[in-house]
Amino acid sequence: MTLIILDPTDERVPVERHISRRNGAITGTIGLLDISKPRGNVLLDELERLLLERLPGVKVNRYRKPTFAKPCPDDLRGTIKSECSFLVEALAD
Amino acid sequence: MHDTVWFEIQGVPAVSIASSEFREAAEAQRDALGMKDARYLLVEHPIQDATDDEMRAKAQAVLPAVIEALTS
Amino acid sequence: MSEFNRGFSLPDLDGLPRRFPSGRPSLVCFVKEDCKTCNLVMPVLEAFHRTFGARADVLLVGQSAAGNATLKERHALTMPVLDDSDCRVSFAWDFEIVPAVFWTDGEGKIGTRFEGFVRSEWQALEQQIGAQLDPGFSGLNWLDYPDWRPGCGSKHLDPEVNERLRATASDSPIRARRIEIASADDDAEFMFDQGFSDGLPLVPPTPERVMRMLAGTRRGAQDIVAVVPPNMAPATVEKIAINAVMAGCRPDYLPVVIAAVEAVCTDEFNIHGVTATTMGASPVMVVNGPIRHRIGMNMKLSALGVGNRANATIGRAVRLVVRNIGGARPGGVDRSTMSSPLKFTMCFAEWEEGSPWSPLHVERGFQVEDSVVTVFAMTSGPVLIVDQESRGADQIAGSLGLGLEGAILSKIHRMPMDALLVVCPEHIRTLTSEGQYSKDRLRARIQQVTSRPLREMVANEISGAGIPRAIADKMTPEQLEAPAPKFASEANIHIVVAGSEAGKFSAAFHGWVTGPAGSMSVSRKIETS
Repeated sequence: MTLIILDPTDERVPVERHISRRNGAITGTIGLLDISKPRGNVLLDELERLLLERLPGVKVNRYRKPTFAKPCPDDLRGTIKSECSFLVEALAD
Repeated sequence: MHDTVWFEIQGVPAVSIASSEFREAAEAQRDALGMKDARYLLVEHPIQDATDDEMRAKAQAVLPAVIEALTS
Repeated sequence: MSEFNRGFSLPDLDGLPRRFPSGRPSLVCFVKEDCKTCNLVMPVLEAFHRTFGARADVLLVGQSAAGNATLKERHALTMPVLDDSDCRVSFAWDFEIVPAVFWTDGEGKIGTRFEGFVRSEWQALEQQIGAQLDPGFSGLNWLDYPDWRPGCGSKHLDPEVNERLRATASDSPIRARRIEIASADDDAEFMFDQGFSDGLPLVPPTPERVMRMLAGTRRGAQDIVAVVPPNMAPATVEKIAINAVMAGCRPDYLPVVIAAVEAVCTDEFNIHGVTATTMGASPVMVVNGPIRHRIGMNMKLSALGVGNRANATIGRAVRLVVRNIGGARPGGVDRSTMSSPLKFTMCFAEWEEGSPWSPLHVERGFQVEDSVVTVFAMTSGPVLIVDQESRGADQIAGSLGLGLEGAILSKIHRMPMDALLVVCPEHIRTLTSEGQYSKDRLRARIQQVTSRPLREMVANEISGAGIPRAIADKMTPEQLEAPAPKFASEANIHIVVAGSEAGKFSAAFHGWVTGPAGSMSVSRKIETS
């Protein structure tokens, strides 16, 4: 059920959820999160290799969800957030 | 998509990769979470019976889009 | 099915109104000129009009005036073509697709209805009308028509058109943009993430809650109460009501919130300066008059603290208006170094019944039966003033003065700054134990006991604050000995009565800068029902 609320602001900007700002470049650490569906690891292994080749200076960290059936557990989310500036999640099938 | 939306709210640019079969589910999840511009990318089905070489080819094919999704 | 009244009066292409129901059986068809299927059925409807028009009204209702003229010309129509450009009638008749066809009796009761083009339905309709009216058949060659053709979405369902229609159709006062919180999203998290909150949870302002809140005032929902800095955005009654819902107010609190928003948005109060200052100032609100009891405000035990919904939420609603409509947020316009919990809420009622003096609002020129809110820009408080020993009236007054002396920094005197002194009932008892003790006498006593030689204000090794040495060095000994009371003027000392009857603890709020660059206290009358 969507909930409708009325906009409490002066409406100069639409009130919606938006993705975070993009900075035009990848720096620091990229997290690769395996959702634990079969074969996803092969794709991620190759992505890791390609990213390291394509973006020297960038680090890649690998993570794995315990199960694809639920969102990532809170503590793993916290770890990824503290260690990474970017995230790729794969592979939903 | 739940995870990538959470990370975006935390200020971490994120992208989900799914197989082409997943398009409708991805759109539905994105709508349900209320983040219309959340990024997702599709790779060609099938996944389960793809060989390792075929999987690696899919990774190579999607790489430019991954970088774009995280940077622009 | 909606209960909307389907009756209408719409002008035809000559400007003459056609009414429905008309007393005759009617075939009403809604169309859009740019819909191909609508164009497909034009000859059918025209044929129906020619065949049945003597006994029934065959009416074409178009959703654009220009479109209607085009249809008439394109199809050489003789049937009436009615103008529903604002889509009010389409909205009331509640269909989705055009062409939308309705066959009704003379009173307007619908017998048959369908949408789009399914040939068998249209053929059956012709049979039905023919049988009912007896003049026979239209002579249409149905084989010229496809079995089926999809219609088009009716214009009244276009999102923007539809929202406007919904608002005006049921006389809804709601005009604010609707925000959809997605099904898998969390409404509390969403509101936090969008920055609506002061840090504490909010009540989601659903249209139903806002409608209920609006019932708390007789003012129109679109009345503009004030223009709120720094965005200079108009605060309508509706927008204030939305923030009042979020704050947790009841509808009968709304008039107080409205009056307070008016008060803080005045030039004299200067809410922009108040919010922006690094000193971290916020309006402290005092309510007077009959409304205090009517809405259950607290003026006694714990008057300045927690537990009373009216006190807590009225103050909070005003802060949310400043934040969400005015656009003032910490880190943005609000640059307070420390700030204080006053910015969550600080609103209380004066205990007029326990005061030996005129209530605050009467002192400020209102009638005793008026309900009034007064706003003071304060940087800190409440500061407790403890005196459990004094027996003499002048002694209590003296302690109250000493309690005020610490405002800003105790050595700084002659301050062009307001203070709000809240005298507790036990202190009032002692103050008036020897007879009358007017507010003016109390003010004079405060200034008297806080008078120190100007010399004590000069910067020294203990504190570099105050009069710079360079300036003090140029002053004469007489000037340096001159007594400097705490406040620039007695008028800076504002006094009210509140608190429980047990406890010898009064309280003080310390202000910001007064005068044109700062803030002056403002009172506004509260609308009474």
